[in-house]
Amino acid sequence: MIGWKGRLSLTGWILGAITLVFLAYQWLPIFTLGLLSFSGPTGGTTFPMNGTSLHWYEELWRATVMNDFKPPLVRSSLLALACSATTIVLSVMAAQAMRGQFRGNGWFFYLMLLGIMAPGILVGFGFAIMMRLMGVELSWDTTTFLVQVSWTLPFGFLTMLAVFNRFDKKVEEAALTLGASRLTAFRRITLPLVLPGVIGAGLFGFSLSYDEYARSMFTTGPDATLPLAVMAQLDRQLTPEIYAVGTTTTFFSLIAVLFFTLAFWAMRRSTSLRRSSSA
Amino acid sequence: MDALAHDPVEGAAAPAHARPQLDLELINIRKRYGDFTAVDGVSLKVSKGQFVCLLGPSGCGKTTTLRCIAGLEEPDGGDVLIGGKEATRDPPWQRDIAMMFQDFALFPHMTVAKQVGFGLEMLKKPRAEIAQRVQHILKSFEIDGLADRKPASLSGGQRQRVALARAMITEPRILLLDEPIGALDYSLRETVMLELKLLQQRTGISFIWVTHDQNEAFSLGDLVVVMNHARIEQQGPPEEILQRPATAFVAGFVQGNNVFRGRVKEVLAGMLRIETPVGMFLVPWVAPPPMLGSEVSFSVRAEQLTDALSERHVNRLSAVCTAVEYFGAVRRHVFERSDGEVLKYDQFGAHAARIVPGQRTVLGWPAEAAVLHAGAGQ
Amino acid sequence: MSTIRIRSPASYWLAVPAAAWMLGVVVVPIVLLVWVSFWGGRAFSTASPLTFDNYARFFANQTYLKLALSTIVHTATLMAVTGVLGYCIAYFLVMKVRSPGWRLALFLAFVVPFWTSTLIRAIAWVPFLGVNGVINQTLMFVGATQSPIEAFLYSRTGITMAQVSLYTMLAAGPVVYMLNAIAPQLREAAMTLKATPFTVFRRIVFPLTLPGVVIGQVLVFLNVMSDFATVATIGGNKHALLSNLVLLFYEGSQIRAASVVAVLLMICMLVGVVIALRVVDIRRLGAER
Repeated sequence: MIGWKGRLSLTGWILGAITLVFLAYQWLPIFTLGLLSFSGPTGGTTFPMNGTSLHWYEELWRATVMNDFKPPLVRSSLLALACSATTIVLSVMAAQAMRGQFRGNGWFFYLMLLGIMAPGILVGFGFAIMMRLMGVELSWDTTTFLVQVSWTLPFGFLTMLAVFNRFDKKVEEAALTLGASRLTAFRRITLPLVLPGVIGAGLFGFSLSYDEYARSMFTTGPDATLPLAVMAQLDRQLTPEIYAVGTTTTFFSLIAVLFFTLAFWAMRRSTSLRRSSSA
Repeated sequence: MDALAHDPVEGAAAPAHARPQLDLELINIRKRYGDFTAVDGVSLKVSKGQFVCLLGPSGCGKTTTLRCIAGLEEPDGGDVLIGGKEATRDPPWQRDIAMMFQDFALFPHMTVAKQVGFGLEMLKKPRAEIAQRVQHILKSFEIDGLADRKPASLSGGQRQRVALARAMITEPRILLLDEPIGALDYSLRETVMLELKLLQQRTGISFIWVTHDQNEAFSLGDLVVVMNHARIEQQGPPEEILQRPATAFVAGFVQGNNVFRGRVKEVLAGMLRIETPVGMFLVPWVAPPPMLGSEVSFSVRAEQLTDALSERHVNRLSAVCTAVEYFGAVRRHVFERSDGEVLKYDQFGAHAARIVPGQRTVLGWPAEAAVLHAGAGQ
Repeated sequence: MSTIRIRSPASYWLAVPAAAWMLGVVVVPIVLLVWVSFWGGRAFSTASPLTFDNYARFFANQTYLKLALSTIVHTATLMAVTGVLGYCIAYFLVMKVRSPGWRLALFLAFVVPFWTSTLIRAIAWVPFLGVNGVINQTLMFVGATQSPIEAFLYSRTGITMAQVSLYTMLAAGPVVYMLNAIAPQLREAAMTLKATPFTVFRRIVFPLTLPGVVIGQVLVFLNVMSDFATVATIGGNKHALLSNLVLLFYEGSQIRAASVVAVLLMICMLVGVVIALRVVDIRRLGAER
């Protein structure tokens, strides 16, 4: 005799099958990209691979001016770090400001939401026109930086808001009644407790900036960032070298995510331990 | 089928002639989650229109038992009979029950009227009838002013009424209540308890009420079922459980009992002489008598003790008073026994205080005031 | 009391840098776009006269109108596919996976690609879709077709296939969040009120997750409408959506035409978001539970 819960699990199996098929659908291209990047020197852009080799990685390493991905990689990484740092500082400030409920904080919230909603192509294009009107030279380390922070900052801000929402205000109150100034209490009590959220905001800043294409495209000028260089190479010719670039950056993205997740987890563990031992 | 054959518990409340009238019968229900046994051989009979309270500490299996009755859990073994019909494997939506949840589980997106009519809608009643019956029940619960409100804007007491109306409107055979007033303010509970008791008597629907609060259980239940460690320790009317606790657990769990453990020294006619760390005591026994030398426990209610001793009070004990608490109706004295345990002595509140903290006093009780427990007692 | 005083000047000044940044980089440029789209004449100059000519030229061209229509149809298709797929996956992950370990593993498998480059993931579809691509090779190997089908690379089908893999996560994420917020007692209460599992879903679970569904749909809508990179990678030059037109005009130095398309794109998105907000009041999301 099968109980009613057993009968319900049929739906579970069907939904499970859909989920697994989708996961395969989602991951298969990524794995194929990785696999094809190791194809032999005569390998094309699809199967057969014509042997396995590191040929395309060597090409990538030896590449000269036209398809040299090393400088774009350096630029993208520096840019991502700068965006990450700026996002952290500004989003902590903005979220703390929201807690102060300053006049017009509702509008401020929608302004930040707009940064997420507004498509990159519009923001990038509009900003490029503005720079042209102002006569400012486009460059990856000035204009692109400005535009990308407008993209990463709202994500960091929402992360910090969510963290502060769950934050127990009484800890701060305790510090203040013990004679700490507001600034000291924030630095010594609040900040360490919300550190996991700060790391999350930083992760958003880094990852979103590193992968951003649309906003960079209009605002970068002559020295391309990595996604722009990849797209340019794709326009010139499609070789497994692109797959090698894609595999490398995907690999590094995954490492970065893993690193941040572990840091996040470790932080949360230590703060929750601290919290429970102080309770 | 002789249900009694499956029934390991003595003294079930329902008299034999009421059997065809049973609203609910549980036969040897068992439920495990992995290594944890949540319900272990629970059997219970609920006759028509009875108010049953499942009482026990948290984790004792009372809520799991209730969920097995509702069909939200499927027992690993045993049978659930609702209105005399086998229902063990029936899903919840095919059972003649309704349930009230601890936090009321109101649907946040539905208005009160929609919410209360939900059960009738599920029974495919015509729209006009639903509207009329909802109107009627809201009025009788005095919440007809809230018909268009959503749960988020209701107070705790209002939510409780809505949840009750939602459960009662289909007029189920049995209403299951999982700590139904636990989420209410303390001041509201007394009134709500009285209302619910009157409602139950008026409608004749059987209530199965899960609680950890013995005040609720003893003031409401026609039948109180005390559970511990996934088993039923004792079931019976409140007076029986209060006056004649069957096990050391029940005696300790129910307020106002002093529990003693010891060894049988001597078996006399109708009496045992029991040796405990704090002295020898005479305790009456009912058949069969425990073996000489076996471990036993017994209890004496705090109000049976006295410090005004006469020759009736054959059991005596000297102890130091540590605290006196005055409740109005009673004055409770807390003593420390020589083995470190606590001894409680309740005096009628209107009498003058005689004992002060720090005073050593001899307390006594008549032999027949003590109740011998079944088994060795845990 | 907290480390910031309510309505203090400090709270105001702390918000100023972020607000200035967003105003200067997002709001002002978008307003500029609207202005530029009305410029007459030929010179790139703030002194240009204002006219409706740029819009008139756009609406006079059948090709552009068809493009706008097909953009909307394409976006609607993707919203439908990712909506249904995303809901199924979210429901499975939250309601059906019992073991927390498995749930985390599946959830990570679902979410992690989202943290890698969308561009690279779009490119990863190229070896799949070509005439000699993996899909055609597989189809021919199992004997489903004799000759390769050209319907994948440089086609709308191929674009849709890639975008489904890119954006289903956006549709599912908010639903996962809303499903997690539904107390199990609500479903149990409905069951004890004689609702069958399907009715419980239809009357309790789905209405409670509706805000999540709408937010997911808005995210997919916004992303697909503005995703010119995937279209360019997989569609080649053969297929374009409105957003590609912006790029096309921009690269051809037709700033006014590009601005017109950008403004129209913006209007489409605004209409979409406003419709969504009529269905669900996003501001009230947190308040109800």
